[in-house]
Amino acid sequence: MKQTIYGLLLLLFLALPPVANLMESVMIIHMHMQMPMLIFTGFLIARIFQLRFPHSFDKWNSNGIPGIILFVIIVVYWTLPRSMDEALNEQSMEIFKFVSLPLLAGIPLRDSWKRIGTVGKNLIIILFTILFIGMGWLYIDSPVQLCNNYLVIEQITLGWGFVTTAICLVIYLVYTTFTDPSKYE
Amino acid sequence: MIKNWPTTFACLLVILFGFALFYIGTDGFQAFTAETARVNKLIDDKPKFPDVTFEDSKGRNYSISEFKGKYVFITFLYTSCTTVCPQLEMNMSKVYDKVPSKYMGKDINFLSISFDPARDDPSTLEKYRGYFNSDGETWRMARITKQAELDALLKEFGVIVIPDGNGSFAHNSAFYLVDKNGSLVDVMDYKKVDEAANKLVDILGKEAGE
Repeated sequence: MKQTIYGLLLLLFLALPPVANLMESVMIIHMHMQMPMLIFTGFLIARIFQLRFPHSFDKWNSNGIPGIILFVIIVVYWTLPRSMDEALNEQSMEIFKFVSLPLLAGIPLRDSWKRIGTVGKNLIIILFTILFIGMGWLYIDSPVQLCNNYLVIEQITLGWGFVTTAICLVIYLVYTTFTDPSKYE
Repeated sequence: MIKNWPTTFACLLVILFGFALFYIGTDGFQAFTAETARVNKLIDDKPKFPDVTFEDSKGRNYSISEFKGKYVFITFLYTSCTTVCPQLEMNMSKVYDKVPSKYMGKDINFLSISFDPARDDPSTLEKYRGYFNSDGETWRMARITKQAELDALLKEFGVIVIPDGNGSFAHNSAFYLVDKNGSLVDVMDYKKVDEAANKLVDILGKEAGE
């Protein structure tokens, strides 16, 4: 219950116009800080749904696959240059961002993550590693300005942000392959 | 599997939702950047060129009706630009050279519009025009002195200009074609010179044939 309240408070804070404007003024903060934080608020808010409707989740998301697919779809959608631009130019898209990332990405992620097992988790991490390398390459190497609201230099910064994240994911994968965490717990 | 049918159903539902989301979000997998979406929408909407007053490199003042009855081939630039504008204008001059001179000034005019009226006064434009062999008549360079009029035009034609704080601007670039009645009819990729020139020759040829 407490988690849900914290999640809602964080969501409200992020939605405050000065906070939102500040975060959206820098491309990399918009995509790599604001959006993940929105997902995180959903992660916290999910608690109340899990307590209230445990059976629905067990029934509709028994193996975690629908939830994780929904999460991937929403995240990939928000890495498109166009979605990000439109969130800045159109009020309705901005609202959709603040609704879809917590509700359709954060909540399913929390419920699915423990259900999909180690193999599923690693598959998702591998998928995002490939995706982030791809997006990084796109944003760094693109000869044109992809987002009308941001400068090319910000686009390159964002690209390196993607690549850096991908490197971290690779390090994690190597680490879990060669060590057995249960030995240290 | 049968026991799991709600989950399987949810899976399908989610995939369908994702497909719809991407389909709508990219105009049917057509436009993945806002710029593509903008250009497609402009070509559909065909907005009218707003009523603005130009001041050209020769210090003359006129509105878009100066070009009534002719096509106008337009670019937006600022002369202090060191990146994309010189390339844009260079490509514009290539298009200019490819269009037969019999049409020039009679059926079509070229127009470069500055969105930096503070610095681009007539004498600056006069000098700049020389770099690209613009004659100042059939290819004119002009500024719009009233900021409100300039903003209205940029908004109507979807030109997004962001000052970068060092006296430069980031902006989207394209070739714009306005028809004889002052409506925007096409937005072309400024990197594809031949394509743009062929299109112009095609349109002008059809008009002449009528």
